[in-house]
Amino acid sequence: MPPLIEVANLVKEFRAFDRQEGLRGAIANLFHRKYRTVRAVDRIDFRIAAGEMVGYIGPNGAGKSTTVKMLTGILMPTGGEIRSNGFHPFEQRTTYTRTIGVVFGQRTQLWWDIAVAESFRLLKSIYGVTDSDYDARMKRFDEVLEIGRYLRTPVRKLSLGERMRCDVAAALLHNPPILFLDEPTIGLDIVAKERIREFLKEQNRQQGTTVLLTTHDLADIEELCARLMVIDKGVLLFDGPLAELKRRLWREMAVRFQLRDREQAEKLMAATLPGVTMQRSGDLTVRAKFDRERQTSADVIRGVLALAAVMDIAIEEESIEDVVKEIYTGTSLREPVA
Amino acid sequence: MTLATVFGLAVVYLMFPSARPLPGWTFPELLFLYGFSLLPMSMFNVISVNLYQFSETYLIQGKMDRVLLRPVHSLFQVLCEQLRLEAMGDAVLGIVILIAASKSLTLTITPFDMFFLAIAAIFGAVLYTAMFTALAACSFWFEDRVGIMPPVYNLISFGRYPLDIYNGFIRVLLSWVAPMGFATFYPAASILRPQAFGFYAWLIPVVTAAFCMLAIWVWNRGIRAYGSTGT
Repeated sequence: MPPLIEVANLVKEFRAFDRQEGLRGAIANLFHRKYRTVRAVDRIDFRIAAGEMVGYIGPNGAGKSTTVKMLTGILMPTGGEIRSNGFHPFEQRTTYTRTIGVVFGQRTQLWWDIAVAESFRLLKSIYGVTDSDYDARMKRFDEVLEIGRYLRTPVRKLSLGERMRCDVAAALLHNPPILFLDEPTIGLDIVAKERIREFLKEQNRQQGTTVLLTTHDLADIEELCARLMVIDKGVLLFDGPLAELKRRLWREMAVRFQLRDREQAEKLMAATLPGVTMQRSGDLTVRAKFDRERQTSADVIRGVLALAAVMDIAIEEESIEDVVKEIYTGTSLREPVA
Repeated sequence: MTLATVFGLAVVYLMFPSARPLPGWTFPELLFLYGFSLLPMSMFNVISVNLYQFSETYLIQGKMDRVLLRPVHSLFQVLCEQLRLEAMGDAVLGIVILIAASKSLTLTITPFDMFFLAIAAIFGAVLYTAMFTALAACSFWFEDRVGIMPPVYNLISFGRYPLDIYNGFIRVLLSWVAPMGFATFYPAASILRPQAFGFYAWLIPVVTAAFCMLAIWVWNRGIRAYGSTGT
């Protein structure tokens, strides 16, 4: 089966203009502008198959939103090729947008001053949704997202969580095969996040909707996406499952041993296990660090147990936040894997 | 707007008996021109606010993304976002003035003339819309809030008076560069003085169509240059 979304060598450049400061600068700006070209997205390639849920992460300004805006037809690519659901998003925008749903977490897609129900009715007629489909979908949205309560409220009076639920529902009113979400959980509390994730999961499972979402919250990825793409400075650094990313970033692993007494601890420190580095991290505690590519924690534990009297064992788990921090600040992804 | 209309009428009235009478135009004729000018203007004002605030609302505040995501032409969505139907009040006033002026001119307005004036008024409103769309679309390239619309908007009021009272430069400007004359003066004048201005009536659809094509072209180019906001 051909991929639903195919992106090849995608580039977006912006011409930024350096504003000079002060009144003098403002006048100078009128006559002479200094431009510099910024490459926000730099030769990105990927394919997404129908029914996939893909997470797209990267630090602020990495090029996530720019990619999404090109995929949704808002921005014209500077170079490269996008085929999405059989369309060229920018050139065929008015037809293409019938087949996608889009949620921008930072900005509502609904009409600010009118009641939510009015917005939905307007969308219903724009997308030509039939009465029976409309009723069935609204019923489902109300069941999972509980939006029924605010249908009469103007969008500007909704809380962020309420608004986001309405936005997600609005994006799916015409049941598009593809859904793009740009930071759908930003600023939401844990309950609201949970509800939106549940709904997206269900939408994917029941309707087969293909989902691409950008986020800073890796819990979104863990719960929703089998696949993850990492972008930084416009370059796609990683494309694969989360477990694979963890494995690549967390080659070093550690097991913590609590020993019976100081003598046992010293005995363990003096011993050598091939491929394992011992570290004294407390009076009775020794950390055994090793490369998870070469050894398993079971091997290390077995080896240590044979050497000393151990009371307690703890395997150090990497936290998801550490993975993000490592991606955003580290260089591991930029180096070739040995 | 209605207050402005009252002042506008006062200006017409005050100018007429002044030291320099407008060459060759009687007061009822000026009233007729003025009355007609209110028709395309009021129709345009139903939607003009959308173009007037385009740069601020859509480009700086970033509403344009939403517009581009809907499967309807973006310009159409922008023009229809806010409709100020109350602007049509001026059209009623314009019709009253037209009737009064043609009474005192003892002008026989045939049904065809009425039809012509109605169509010309619609074309005039479309012409204004096209001109301001082209200007609004310029903000796709110039990040700053463009200050070009207010002066052009003010030019519209020039078109209310007989164009032949102006010097050659302004006449050319209002006829061919920013052709307000085709929205207001030429249609009305072609009824009042068919021999002198009848020819221009035929040009109304041509000029309007040309400006519409220009406006849509500039708009579509602008969308290509659209850079969205940071997030």
